[in-house]
Amino acid sequence: MFRINSEVFGEIPRHFIWAVAFLNILGLVALKSIAQHHTGLILQNPFTKQLVFLCPAILICILITITPRYLIHKYAYPFYAFGIGLVLLPFLGDSHSGTYRWLDFGLPVSIQPSEFAKVFTILALARYLSDHNLKMRNIRVIFVPILLVILPTVIILKQPDLGTSVIIIAPLLPMLYWSGANPFHLFLLLAPIFSMATAFHSVAFTVWAIVLSIVIVLSRPNRFISLIIFFGNIFLGLLSPALWNSFFTQYQRNRILTLFNPEKDPLGAAYQIIQSKTAIGSGGMFGKGWGEGTQTQLKFLPVQESDFILSVIGEELGFITIAFTLLVFGYFCSQIIKSSFLSKDRFSSLALIGFATVFLSHVFVNTAMTVGLIPVKGLPFPFVSAGGSFLVACYIMLGLVMKLSVNYAD
Amino acid sequence: MLKADNVVSYGQYIFAGIFAWFIIVILIVRYFQIQVINNDSYSRKANSNRIRKITQTAPRGLILDRNGQILVDNYPTYVLTAIPWELSDKEEKFTIISDVIGLNKENVEENYKKYYRGRFNQVRIAKDLNFNQISRLEENKIDLQGIYYEYYPERYFPSIIRGSHIFGNVKEVDREIRNSLKNKENYELGDMIGWSGIEKKYENFLKGDRGIYFYEVDALGREVGHFNDLEPQDPIPGENIITTLNLEIQDKIEKIIKDRKGVLLVSESYSGEILAAVSSPDYDPELFTGLILNKTWSEIVNNPDKPLLNRYLQGLYPPGSIVKMITQAALMEVVDFDPNTTYNCDGSYQFGDRLFGCWWHEGHGKINMSGAMLNSCDVYFYKAIQLLELDQLASVFREFGFGQPTGIDIPGEAKGIVPDKAYMNKKHGRYNWSKGALLNICIGQGEILSTPMQVLNFTNLVATRGQALRPHFVMKENQNENFRPNISIRTWDQIIMDMALVITDENGTGKNAALNIPGISVFGKTGTAENNHGDSHAWFIGWVQNGEEKYSVVVLMENAGSGGKVAAPIAKEIFYALVTKKNKIVKN
Repeated sequence: MFRINSEVFGEIPRHFIWAVAFLNILGLVALKSIAQHHTGLILQNPFTKQLVFLCPAILICILITITPRYLIHKYAYPFYAFGIGLVLLPFLGDSHSGTYRWLDFGLPVSIQPSEFAKVFTILALARYLSDHNLKMRNIRVIFVPILLVILPTVIILKQPDLGTSVIIIAPLLPMLYWSGANPFHLFLLLAPIFSMATAFHSVAFTVWAIVLSIVIVLSRPNRFISLIIFFGNIFLGLLSPALWNSFFTQYQRNRILTLFNPEKDPLGAAYQIIQSKTAIGSGGMFGKGWGEGTQTQLKFLPVQESDFILSVIGEELGFITIAFTLLVFGYFCSQIIKSSFLSKDRFSSLALIGFATVFLSHVFVNTAMTVGLIPVKGLPFPFVSAGGSFLVACYIMLGLVMKLSVNYAD
Repeated sequence: MLKADNVVSYGQYIFAGIFAWFIIVILIVRYFQIQVINNDSYSRKANSNRIRKITQTAPRGLILDRNGQILVDNYPTYVLTAIPWELSDKEEKFTIISDVIGLNKENVEENYKKYYRGRFNQVRIAKDLNFNQISRLEENKIDLQGIYYEYYPERYFPSIIRGSHIFGNVKEVDREIRNSLKNKENYELGDMIGWSGIEKKYENFLKGDRGIYFYEVDALGREVGHFNDLEPQDPIPGENIITTLNLEIQDKIEKIIKDRKGVLLVSESYSGEILAAVSSPDYDPELFTGLILNKTWSEIVNNPDKPLLNRYLQGLYPPGSIVKMITQAALMEVVDFDPNTTYNCDGSYQFGDRLFGCWWHEGHGKINMSGAMLNSCDVYFYKAIQLLELDQLASVFREFGFGQPTGIDIPGEAKGIVPDKAYMNKKHGRYNWSKGALLNICIGQGEILSTPMQVLNFTNLVATRGQALRPHFVMKENQNENFRPNISIRTWDQIIMDMALVITDENGTGKNAALNIPGISVFGKTGTAENNHGDSHAWFIGWVQNGEEKYSVVVLMENAGSGGKVAAPIAKEIFYALVTKKNKIVKN
């Protein structure tokens, strides 16, 4: 069963490895530039720390590729329970400056359990949706997957970690779509979010109300349900300004608000966006050269080794490198989607589209953040950003992607 | 186990693929927009981001006395600053600071509030730190993130004298001050600017040019090295200023007037060089160098004796009898008055419906002008002055510099009042005043008000028969032309003879000022000026002549009583100090 032979590795799709290798090496190049004058210990230097974490990451990745697929399927729920337990653990300990994101085992490094929770959530979701395929057109069956996702999301929101909770919830819609959910039902899932988001602007809210009614009319549910859906959404929208104030902390509100008006507080909450854009913008087509980025080297750029590593690359290596990196990532994600489409079994297909969504969400949130398209969320760029738990989680997902992409019966 | 078949349709796959690439393309387009299209503007922004101009305060010029002794000096101190947004736990850090350097924590907190100028600006939290304190802070540096220090030359006063009103003080330039400056480009916030006294008047000499250095800094404002593309400039210290002061005499008069209220002025009569000047009560000049506690500050501001007021420039006093020489001159010059004319003094004089009293209620009897001077008889002048019009007397007052600023080289001088017809008409209305005003003014009472500095200049003019230069505190080659009273030799002789009699005659009101040293003569006039603020002000003006040397002295003791009894003995002490002092006064 645990036979390791060249056959197993021979079937591994190589294009994933090339893409990840490129991204990882690019990340190391950027980290080396940041850390070139660093004199700290190995684990305080982002470059050497990344190298150290690469070893267990690759090892786990290899272990996963030789694990039989049915084990992954069989233990999806226990893994999920394990993941939930993991994100609950930090609440038992002391807080790190008011947050419960980190698990401290007395090791020189801390573990961020939410990174692993998202992997287990996708597997549990895939397991559930693949087991219940026949009833997917029924809206009631959608509620179990929603619960599966909401549970870790709420816990992680409480840590609090807005960015990661967004990532946890992101695969839900694509996976429901993949398993054949009625697009109208999915729209209904999204509708409350739009209702709340547009409620702060009267014109946007009016436009949204019109779109909502058109979609409801076109989908032709019965009249009673239509009315409930429509007025439920409008009511939620009217309620949202109050929710906004009670649900988000001042810190989160600031982050969201400065996105719309970054010049208002150039040295406050929008500081990071402005510094990041300055670094990227001054890089130009070909960049200032490795180790020559003034914004990077003079530490104007905040959290440059993780959240803003793309700004470092943009400044020192230019638009050419950024564009190529994003294209490589686009290729990587589209290959996962392709594997998912070609997959013979439903579990693998669903898990793959889930991982593709997670990777793509990370890239979108991180990249859009560096150029001020969305609020600063504190999400790293997969395989490029420094970060122990995140790197290992990415390699676990890579291992799963490679494993599930191989189509053979076991 | 994995029996469920994949049900994903080709349409779903294409949709997902397009969606993924759509996101990637949006991101690439946004990067293209920022990096390629807007590259220029971001490059400019990046350049200004990383170079920080650091300026270093130049030490101000020294202030010396006429013999080269240092009166105002600089010494190296350090100021402690905090950058608010880098301070994670303000309370804790302030506690460490106050423990380590032995400062009052409240003081630190008060300064933090007072100098706070925004989250990213350095806030000065402590001043006057010495090298030892900085070393101790350096040992605790790891607990003091966001706390910085910098070298700072601070004013200090090494000599034995205070001279607070002369030297004045410097003040930190804040936003408001900077906006009010004409040459604001020369000052940065936190620079020191001369705010009063010599410090203000000679600001352009004393200031010096600050040094400018360029550093590359990181986003936290930490210097990471010199920026060599721009030429740095070392600070150029300000020029030293040699004053006319004599340390020994200044010390003497400060001791004399300690705990009393008034003014003492001493100058070289011809050159107008002020050897010593004190306005009492004064304040410790160090008051303005350290960080002032609100409490200490309000104590000084609310002191009823007004220590901050420079009495010899801003104090307006009725001069009293010390200006009778002007009345004398006016009479002799304008109506060719014969000084041998005698009038009878009964102790009072009825003019119209008013009774004008002489200070000597029993009356001086039949006296001539010299007698009136040495006894300081008022009735004699009440009677004589009726030969003149108010404007005629006022113009002689102005010839001696009254009613106009003396042009002294310390800012804030008051100009006093010499009432003339126009003034009286304006103040009281054309028909609401009478010639009785003239009787008051001729003995230095009534509407006339003068500063002690005007009185000093007047004394110098009399002592030198109108040849004195304007009074001044700083050695300068070209002094402005002084007032030149147009007085004949005959009148000068009369005035000076009478002023000698004031001292030497056994009935002279100024006999307490007599030195009785052979070869040294003293001239003077006393005054006892009635006023609305209590007892009379005691005045004495005069000069001592020792061969070629001639020194004028003005004594004003507020609400102290009789000039002859209170002011004259003080003048005597000063005259004695002047003729026995160690350092010869250098003549220009």
